[in-house]
Amino acid sequence: MSVTDDNKLIANSNYLVVDDFPGMRGTLSMVLRNCGVNPKNIDTASNGSEAIKTLSRKKYDVVLCDFNLGDGKTGAHVLEEAKYRSLIGPSCCWIMVTAEKTTDTVMGSAESQPDAYLIKPVTEAILISRLQKIRAKKESFIEIDRAIAGRDYLQAIQLCDERAINDKANAIELLRVKCDLLTRTGQSDKARATYENVLASRDVPWAQLGLARIHMLDEDFESAAGLLEQLVDNNRSYLEAYDYLAEAHQALGQNDKAEATLERALALSPNSHVRQRAMGDLSLKTGKLDRAEKAFRKTVTLAEHSVRKSPEAYLGLAKTVSAKSNPQEALNVLEQMNKKFSGEEVRLKGKSVEGLIYHQSGNAEKAKEVAQELSSMLESSSTRIDSAAKREMAELLLATGEHEKGLALLQAEVMNNPEDKANLAAVREIFRKTGFEDQGAVLVEASRKEAMDMMNAGTLLAKEGDFAQAIDKLRSALEKMPANVRLLLNSAHIMITYMEKSGANADLINEVRRNLLTANQLAPAEQRFLLLMNRLKVLE
Amino acid sequence: MNTQPKPDATLFLASSVHDMKNSISVMLGSVQRFLAQAGPEQTEFHRDMAQMLYEIQLINGNLIQLLTLYKLGNDLYPFNAETQEIAEFAHTAVSHVQPLLNSRGIRIELDLEENCYWEFDGDLVNGIIVNAMNNAANYTRSTIHLGVATVAGALEIRVEDDGSGFPQRMLDEGLAAMRGVDFSTGSTGLGLYFAAVSARLHRNRQEEGSIRLENGGRLGGGCFIVRLP
Repeated sequence: MSVTDDNKLIANSNYLVVDDFPGMRGTLSMVLRNCGVNPKNIDTASNGSEAIKTLSRKKYDVVLCDFNLGDGKTGAHVLEEAKYRSLIGPSCCWIMVTAEKTTDTVMGSAESQPDAYLIKPVTEAILISRLQKIRAKKESFIEIDRAIAGRDYLQAIQLCDERAINDKANAIELLRVKCDLLTRTGQSDKARATYENVLASRDVPWAQLGLARIHMLDEDFESAAGLLEQLVDNNRSYLEAYDYLAEAHQALGQNDKAEATLERALALSPNSHVRQRAMGDLSLKTGKLDRAEKAFRKTVTLAEHSVRKSPEAYLGLAKTVSAKSNPQEALNVLEQMNKKFSGEEVRLKGKSVEGLIYHQSGNAEKAKEVAQELSSMLESSSTRIDSAAKREMAELLLATGEHEKGLALLQAEVMNNPEDKANLAAVREIFRKTGFEDQGAVLVEASRKEAMDMMNAGTLLAKEGDFAQAIDKLRSALEKMPANVRLLLNSAHIMITYMEKSGANADLINEVRRNLLTANQLAPAEQRFLLLMNRLKVLE
Repeated sequence: MNTQPKPDATLFLASSVHDMKNSISVMLGSVQRFLAQAGPEQTEFHRDMAQMLYEIQLINGNLIQLLTLYKLGNDLYPFNAETQEIAEFAHTAVSHVQPLLNSRGIRIELDLEENCYWEFDGDLVNGIIVNAMNNAANYTRSTIHLGVATVAGALEIRVEDDGSGFPQRMLDEGLAAMRGVDFSTGSTGLGLYFAAVSARLHRNRQEEGSIRLENGGRLGGGCFIVRLP
């Protein structure tokens, strides 16, 4: 694009200026007018809520938003919500204007990353050059982003390679995105080679972080922690690295180190609700209840204005307060949560914690009543719930006499993850705590075996060439173990082989794609995902 | 005995910058508007406004430098090296000082390596270069030369002028600043110290960034050089 075209584009775009200080709104509007923008195409908003209202009424090409908007929402909250509610499209240029460069503004979550930060004062020359740079970058990434949104990761990887040949300005960023996609699709060998290649010519923090993440996926937490410790020593403000380091420490059972690491990161940037919650979870686990309570309360306050706030902080807070022998306060927290959040998952988890509170405070009758409610809610629910929450529910059911339902829940957990040793150990621990040690051990082993047998039966039939029956068997196995990654991948392999032999059909292709994406979500490091996606693509 | 805690200005350094930056932005906007309306560049009003613009930018630059040093001292500065296109980076830096140069009739001469990309923290290095050009504008006779090129595996940015060069005392003090020795004489102290500290943050393969002062160069005056590995 020529410079004149660029200038015309800048002059003909729609602009929104968001700043709480009237003088700044005037100054930024003047900078825009001096860039040739018609005053009719410049709107202003004086706070976060007004900005959101304005954004939902009209589409803007460029948003100039102050990070610090006085009380209430920050610029990051506004951007997060605008993205989340699709008030801005992918072509919108969002420029965050800040008084200074801080870890909070620059190193915030990926969801709230603007296209650029400009440090005040903003002049015409700087604004124009930045807008040109953003446009060029958007042009380079638009097809890649589209492919990623459509979960066509293979296409996205190929596009990264093609683009990188001619686009030197974005070559590094393209490489970074490509490595991320490679890791996400189970090609960690290729990602590792690329990271090492980058690191051979330069010390690049994101490549070092990428390597550490691959170590973690390979469950080599020792190497990951070593790399990450070095990384944060050389890059003291690299917050993402602290988060992974704390995770690696926890995986190694080094909770003290994990706490110290999170504390260092929180000192740098106390305003991340995700990190505060991680601190709450960890402190609750290690029994440091005062600190857990403080961290969860801070999480709740920080997430107040964020569209991405989650009920988990309330659940954690309720558990913490309950463990501090304050059941009434814990129940109040749950009540607040139920007012703020809706959905089956929240209700189920809330019910489970409610039962725990009564159980902990010695109110056996009430605990049993709540457990029965939870039991019938689970009966009619099809919402997928994470393993840790499921185990908590089962523990409550077993402790309050709802044996049958509790056993069934744990059985399902074992069958979905028959090869996950940490999960099996956690299930055994619950049996031990609730006095079912012997019965539990038998059940774990039986369920594990049943799952393996069902998984093998389909494979065997397929080997014998009876695909119709094999697919039948796999489908009924999946009904029993919908989150069993190996089963999801095996069934995809067999269904694809069947279609390769006797012709494709659209319904089956969709079924396979659904299963593969579920598997990828559950186990991103699984290598077979991409190979199978490749074969599926040929059939389409 | 006095049990009151000693007043600590650093507590307010970061929090008050938001307001100060707003004030500076508004002043800068107004002065630029006056300049645009002031007509021919030779009038006294125009010269006064250009001088005011220069002073505002100086305050802004000092404020950023102080705040950055404070943050670096407390491990709070979010250092982030990103790929920069050299030509674009240089033109943006020049745009900060162009009004001042115009008002004083100083010519700027660019010599930029073509198709050159380098990884560095754009905000920090912009701060160093703008400061160096502002400084050069005070000592040059007619021209400032901004040159950027890769030299022996590192990026070298040179700000040169045709003034009478740095006095020997400055060359010596410059070296002291680069070693991190604390000295507090005159306004050059902060600028050079900031430049040395910021350059040093750029590290690659056991090598760290540096600055140096020389006399001579293409224009025969002072040369300020940043080297980034």
